[in-house]
Amino acid sequence: MTNSNKSHAAQDAMTDNQSSGSATSRKRSSGINLSRMRKSYALKPLAIGIASVFLSACGEEKQDAQIYTSLEDCKRDFPDAVERCDAAYKTATEEAMRTSPRFNSEYDCEYEFGANQCRTVNTNSGSVFMPFMAGFMVSQLLSPNRYYSQPLYTSYSPYSSYRSRWVTADGNVFSGDIRKRNYKVGSDTLKPKPTVNRTMKRGGFGSSVRAKSSWGSSSRKGSWGG
Amino acid sequence: MFRMPCQPRKGWQQLAGEFGFHFHTMYGEPYWDERAYYQFTLAQIEKDIEDPTAELHQMCLAVVDDVVNSEQLLTRFSIPKAHWGLVKDSWRNRDPSLYSRLDLVYSGKGPAKLLENNADTPTSLYESGFWQWLWLEQQVNAGVLARNADQFNSLQEKLVFRFGEIAQHYQLNQMHFSCCKDTEEDRGTVQYLQDCAREAGIQSDFVFIEDIGLADTGVFTDLADAPITDCFKLYPWEFILREEFGDSLADAKVNWLEPAWKSIISNKALLPLLWQKFKGHPNLLPAYFADDIPHNIHHKAPHNAMHGGKWVKKPLFSREGANISLIENGKESELSPGPYGEEGFIVQAFHPLPVFDGNHTLIGSWLVDDMPAGISVREDSNAITQDLSRYLPHIIL
Repeated sequence: MTNSNKSHAAQDAMTDNQSSGSATSRKRSSGINLSRMRKSYALKPLAIGIASVFLSACGEEKQDAQIYTSLEDCKRDFPDAVERCDAAYKTATEEAMRTSPRFNSEYDCEYEFGANQCRTVNTNSGSVFMPFMAGFMVSQLLSPNRYYSQPLYTSYSPYSSYRSRWVTADGNVFSGDIRKRNYKVGSDTLKPKPTVNRTMKRGGFGSSVRAKSSWGSSSRKGSWGG
Repeated sequence: MFRMPCQPRKGWQQLAGEFGFHFHTMYGEPYWDERAYYQFTLAQIEKDIEDPTAELHQMCLAVVDDVVNSEQLLTRFSIPKAHWGLVKDSWRNRDPSLYSRLDLVYSGKGPAKLLENNADTPTSLYESGFWQWLWLEQQVNAGVLARNADQFNSLQEKLVFRFGEIAQHYQLNQMHFSCCKDTEEDRGTVQYLQDCAREAGIQSDFVFIEDIGLADTGVFTDLADAPITDCFKLYPWEFILREEFGDSLADAKVNWLEPAWKSIISNKALLPLLWQKFKGHPNLLPAYFADDIPHNIHHKAPHNAMHGGKWVKKPLFSREGANISLIENGKESELSPGPYGEEGFIVQAFHPLPVFDGNHTLIGSWLVDDMPAGISVREDSNAITQDLSRYLPHIIL
């Protein structure tokens, strides 16, 4: 990139190659890659979130999937496999509990999903609000191997981009409105979604520092190491 | 062992900037000081420091085993009862440790004496594992130091290797790293460990201790709401166990580095227990719980265990030499104030630090897991409290 970087590289190579002492009996680290220890940037203390990017894989094999808004709808389509519908519905409701979008307040949830579209769930660390499951998507229901089933949501809120459309727990919006029930989808769409962790509270660690850091006799008062 | 004045490298401050070493000067005082170095013989390093370090560590582990199996001792160590299970489980599961630093008094001859064990949150790691290594390489290449000069410092190599083992143990490829806000030194130490973890193929995410969240699912989260499953924390266990989120530790099921059993080994109650179990060991100083034998130090009883003399009184939990008193012939005088001490005190026989050119010199002897991995040398103008320590590099010749 720049001249100074070039000279660094030369210097790094030199330092790495010309180590003193015999390599066998040395008491110190033998090879430290200096170029990897350089910090051309300032420390970046903030966690950079892993953005979930959904790209539809081109040329990928797609498979048929159906959306049902009730268990009965499913059973009507598969009168000879009603127990499969029961299982798929159960899977979807369990997945909804685990992966559904969640909100700290009912207002926030209703803003996104519409009036009376949210339920309260009590957790270890307080109450959260989740939208009701509006439907479930199944694929390969009759497959002897593995069928897919996952919860879907829709919004009745005029402020939401999900309004009248199907959306997965992780925010993947389907084309067309909610009257559309048959889709061809890629495997990513059918994969189980990650568990959603809704942070209820922060600052539960670090109070000892606030309590004790007023003692400023030490030159290293900032450090909590030793 | 001697102290040798030395020409500092030209422009080392700029080099420090390029490598992200930002705390070489702290609070207006030099911290990294390369105007001199300490020189050891290989025999001094291997026989007097390396071997005793390995042995002392094993002795400490033996004490941990005693403590986790005794409710009385867990109480003595002020481990909150609600967390005994957490501490015991981490020990019984052999949760892997990463590193620790024994502080030793050593003058070049005679046995090194253990002052304390920084087993939970040791710092001065970057300047030991990397910066003094670089200093040696460059000074040798510049012809300032002899070609056969070496250094007791395999820290970085061992840390990288150990991260690999830990990744294998927990089957992980990502970890969180955490320390408190507003301390460049701690952030630098943690960044160094992130660098070492990266060399072992582990992806790292950083979150400040104060920013850690608790999710409805019971897990701890970072600022992106991602769950914290494996975490290195440069934050003492004695704080963690007593703070609000301490109640959520059991449910959060984090694999912590250092593991919870380090709350025992980093506790100064370890020192009297070591003396009790290995009384007379050449690398130990006599130590007692302060309330066990108060009259022994405060009155000169004729046949007490301590024979008057000089003793240093320290709180079970303390950082940076806070709340230290000197007891001399039964008279106690405070050397440093501080916020610690409510959990009790220990006393340890006073053993003066050696003086080199007017500086009191302390050896930090590093372990990665149970392997001795190098030393750091710090100097202070104060005999006991190590208030304004400077870090000096060392060589073996």
